[in-house]
Amino acid sequence: MNDIAIETRDITKRYGSAANGVLALDRVSVAIPKGTVFGLLGPNGAGKTTLIKLLTGIADITSGDARVAGFDVRRQSLAVRSRIGWVAAEVILDDEFSAWENLWLQARLQDLPDWQGRAEQLLRYFELSDRKTDRVSHFSTGMRKKLEIALALLHQPEVIFMDEPTIGLDVSTRRMIWEIVTGVHREFGVTVLLTTHYIEEADALCDRIGIIDHGRIIATGTPSELKSRVRSDVIQLESKEPIDPVRLRALPGVQDVRAQGNEWQIRVPSADEFLPRLFATIQTDQIRRISVEQPSLETVFLELTGHRIGSDEPMRDIRKFYAQVRRARG
Amino acid sequence: MRSQLWGLYLREVVRTFRNPFVLLLTVVQPFMWLAFFGSGFSQFAKEAASEFGTSNYIAFLLPGVLSTSMLSVGMFGSMSTIQDKRFGFMKRILITPTSKEVIFLSKAFGAATRGLVQIPVMVAAALAFGVTFSLSPLEWAVWVLALLFGAIGFSSMFLAITASSTDWQTPGVVSNFITMPLMFSSAALYPSSGFPVWMQWISKFNPISYSAEFGRSLVLGSGIVWVDLGYLALFAGVMLTIGYFVSARWLRVE
Repeated sequence: MNDIAIETRDITKRYGSAANGVLALDRVSVAIPKGTVFGLLGPNGAGKTTLIKLLTGIADITSGDARVAGFDVRRQSLAVRSRIGWVAAEVILDDEFSAWENLWLQARLQDLPDWQGRAEQLLRYFELSDRKTDRVSHFSTGMRKKLEIALALLHQPEVIFMDEPTIGLDVSTRRMIWEIVTGVHREFGVTVLLTTHYIEEADALCDRIGIIDHGRIIATGTPSELKSRVRSDVIQLESKEPIDPVRLRALPGVQDVRAQGNEWQIRVPSADEFLPRLFATIQTDQIRRISVEQPSLETVFLELTGHRIGSDEPMRDIRKFYAQVRRARG
Repeated sequence: MRSQLWGLYLREVVRTFRNPFVLLLTVVQPFMWLAFFGSGFSQFAKEAASEFGTSNYIAFLLPGVLSTSMLSVGMFGSMSTIQDKRFGFMKRILITPTSKEVIFLSKAFGAATRGLVQIPVMVAAALAFGVTFSLSPLEWAVWVLALLFGAIGFSSMFLAITASSTDWQTPGVVSNFITMPLMFSSAALYPSSGFPVWMQWISKFNPISYSAEFGRSLVLGSGIVWVDLGYLALFAGVMLTIGYFVSARWLRVE
């Protein structure tokens, strides 16, 4: 029990009434060990941010139990809130204040008597020392994000929640934030719960991942555990001439063959072993294009949910979801 | 709680002083009343000096205008709260061991402090308009205290009414709804002796009347009316208590 930083048991969040409300989270149970970077991966509207709101005490849990840093989120809210840090999806700082004044305010809010040394250390770590007296409204997005992470670390929290830490950032800033998250986890030894809808982000940063869709956690595991759930490689083949599907299906190891005109999808246990057999059957000059898709979190997500993480289908669901939430809130 | 309250209160004050436009507006609005309403009405007041208790209408008006200004600063407290909700800062505050009640107190005291900024400027303006002051230090102190009570009471009232709102327009609408009736049914701009009976009843309970008459008694040399000060302290206390509990229950985070 002591090794668990975050534990939820069947937590449910419903906006509005039981009859007409919207179920944002449906009996979510997770156990996140101390010292891990746990990623909640799912499309927009899946319930990721709602889970963070419940765990940080910003929204009330409809039913179920949750413990963070050893304390009950509902009954020991103040104890939880003094042990967690939070990094918002949109950077939230006081723009009228300097970096140092933002740290001062955070220290006040966390009731820290001796915070200056730690604040100086964090500013050095995030390479913001020379800008500490500048108003944060003059900071770049990357600097603002770094300061926000520094605020979250000021009181030496046990757990940090990062809600979509790289949403809306350009590629280089995103890479920088990835390095920071990894560095922060290593240097400061905190447990990190981050949400993302970027598959490569979850893959790059997280020790463990929970795949969330329509308010339910469908699978949890390390990235490699999740990928091993999808054992097949998919060979995408485009031929110059029509191929007889019977010839392809007859090849040893073929699990499934799908065709659309001269484009083929062949599912096999191992592309490495299958490709020589394929080339022995079809002459290579008949092949216009060939590629292999190996198990990735993208294919895992597709297999588990039936849709791709960024497809239009969930976007329609999200619009519907928010429309329902608005109606439920009146 | 003290640490959080002091931090958030100072944030309110610092933000006010770093925004010269807001500061200017805070001071200019009551000054306009003094300059335009005061000057426009002074001849009439001179003719009815027995009703007004003085022939200098600006001396009569100053405590009234300062009292109604304490009402309007409440709106700024609400606007600042709604801004924090809209920009997510409320979440940043609440994901720390800070309670909603502390946020309410910081906003109420912050708005009240902003209101007090008006006092020296308005007194200086009244001096320029020819008003003479012969108040003792104690009288100055209790006058400021009375205005502070009014400001705390009204800002608490505004914050309680708008606790669950996230709409920018709400404080303005509430202000229009509250300010006009409270201002015109008080003794802030003219003596209440000429009111119809039903308005006199409203005026009897209206804190602006107490605040205006308390200040007027000091400016016109009649001394401290402790009962009025007591009423204003009670008003502040009741509103602060209501706002405290309303915020704990209904203050929306976003």
